[in-house]
Amino acid sequence: MALYLIGAIFLTGLWGVVNRANMVKKVIGLSIANSAIILLFVYQGSLSGNTAPIEGTGEVMVDPLPQALMLTAIVVGVCVMALALVLVYRLYRKLGTLDIREVERRSWKLHD
Amino acid sequence: MTDGGLVWILLAPLIGASVALLGKLFPGASKVARPLAAASLTAPVFILISLAGRVLRGEVIRYSLGGWPQPMGIALTMDGIAWVSAAITAVIALAVVLYSLGRERYSSEFFFFFLMMVTGMFGVAVTGDLFTMFVFFEIIAVTIYVLIAWEGTVTGLAASFKYLILSSTGILFFLLGIFLVYRETGILSISLLGEGPAGTDTAVMRLALASLCVGIGVRTAFIPFHTWLPEAHAYAPHPISAILSGAMIKVSFFAMVRVIMLFKGEYLYPMLTWIGAITALTAVVSALAQTDVKRLLAYHSISQLGYILAVFAAGSSIALTASFFHAANHALFKSLLFLTVGAAVRFSGERNLYRMGRLGREMPVFAVAFFAGALSISGIPPFNGFASKAFIVSGMEGSIAYPLLWITSFLTVASFIKLGRIYLPGAATSEIGNSEIQGLKRTPGALETISVSLLTLACVATGVFGTRTADFLNRLLYGTPLSVVPDLFSVKALLKTLPVAVLGIAAYKLVLTETGQRLSQKVKAMAPPLRVVLVLFLAGLLAFAAAAY
Repeated sequence: MALYLIGAIFLTGLWGVVNRANMVKKVIGLSIANSAIILLFVYQGSLSGNTAPIEGTGEVMVDPLPQALMLTAIVVGVCVMALALVLVYRLYRKLGTLDIREVERRSWKLHD
Repeated sequence: MTDGGLVWILLAPLIGASVALLGKLFPGASKVARPLAAASLTAPVFILISLAGRVLRGEVIRYSLGGWPQPMGIALTMDGIAWVSAAITAVIALAVVLYSLGRERYSSEFFFFFLMMVTGMFGVAVTGDLFTMFVFFEIIAVTIYVLIAWEGTVTGLAASFKYLILSSTGILFFLLGIFLVYRETGILSISLLGEGPAGTDTAVMRLALASLCVGIGVRTAFIPFHTWLPEAHAYAPHPISAILSGAMIKVSFFAMVRVIMLFKGEYLYPMLTWIGAITALTAVVSALAQTDVKRLLAYHSISQLGYILAVFAAGSSIALTASFFHAANHALFKSLLFLTVGAAVRFSGERNLYRMGRLGREMPVFAVAFFAGALSISGIPPFNGFASKAFIVSGMEGSIAYPLLWITSFLTVASFIKLGRIYLPGAATSEIGNSEIQGLKRTPGALETISVSLLTLACVATGVFGTRTADFLNRLLYGTPLSVVPDLFSVKALLKTLPVAVLGIAAYKLVLTETGQRLSQKVKAMAPPLRVVLVLFLAGLLAFAAAAY
């Protein structure tokens, strides 16, 4: 069940990236899809136990590795999102539109 | 050198990057900071030379960061593939950094991002586990987005955004692949995976390989993932175009080779051969139609990558040698071409090759360098493109995809005849410059000249000593001397380039006819919008999944 839910979140994000013309919504879609992958890792790690991964408590703990990996992935994701929004903002300042079709139509025409 | 020295390949450019950042914080120190930061790139060269002997003997050098044992620790690995990959990065980065030092507008901030990107590329080359590979890929990505948009022009920003969306979507699938591997085997270390688990032929592992390949494929830019490249390479600053085309797509390609070999992905080879051949042909047709000089070169990068991919996937006994040799040569001549053409664009303030005028007399050294690069990429002896294409011919022997590559070779000649006019001697009659890029009428300085001269020499040297270079690569990659030695400079081999040259000239004449012009206009106007780009990406994803299944 949880896997289906995560799949649905991922596809929602992907749909946003592919099908939305608004650049901010594209970035948000990317962020949603990224979260789905993070959930997937953490969910898989949580299947092996039920307590926090602290050494020495003697109980069956969750797999700590996916959590550690996803901390890194979250940081990387935040960097990319921030940078993407900066690019969107700069484009908006220059062209006054957030529509990617409009942006592409006008920017590839500038040269040549 | 101890194994710990390996870590300095990554640390040296990182330290250089922080020095560059100090130059930004203390404006007075900027003059010292830039050369110091650039000098940090010499350290990897020395480390690579000192490790070459051991790698040649077939030793795999491993080092765990911080002494944490496998499989939890972050491991660095140096083997043949990593050595070639890191060496290409080191050489091109040095040449490019030398070129950028010559110009004040590439400030210490620029050097910071540049050196961070180089760190990422070295990281992808020497990494010993899949997740660290992801992290280094993202380090490259984040810095490259900034560098593509460096000039702050609308085109640069839009190209950067396009690349960001596509490659971030791609890297999500890379993560998905990592997830599948972890779920199936519980380890991510490449060396431990190589001991057995990766080779198990289950549906999940095949799907994992397909996902990983798609993720890296976006960075490597073969069809159908190539759509970001023409804009990103064309509208980035010139030194960045050079390192993007020269080193970055190669580093991703080598990472893909490593992953495919790790997972024993021979079932992908037939598809990859065709993708490579079709990439080579379609991209060169697009290149032939371009009038924007840097876009033309960018399409050629895709096309040459098609060669590299096709010969790798043809799977002959010298497949790796031929494809890595061509990758190394392409790194040399394509960065040379981007740097010389970049200088021409700056001089004339114009990107259209028919309006740039003829700059041969203004910049004679650059003209010679440009023609060396153009002859190399066209495969004319004795330059290096000729040598590696000879190896590609023997590597592709018996493959039915080869005719596509042969057609590509003379279309390449045709498009460089077209581009060659910008550096012919003649009057520099540049008309009104473009609104976004002002011509500076400034001839290149000493550092820039040194940089392109060194690259030119390298192009000639790897061509004249082609067999020896290939033998060296073969020892690195397979641990044995070269088994197939194509006779490079026999009369027969030299005669074979004749029809290519003649057909190239004929193709160029055909393009100049009215029908040719009309067709070029049509091809040139084909710039798929972002949505189509993403749909193409998903189609490619499905193709990989289907081939793996």
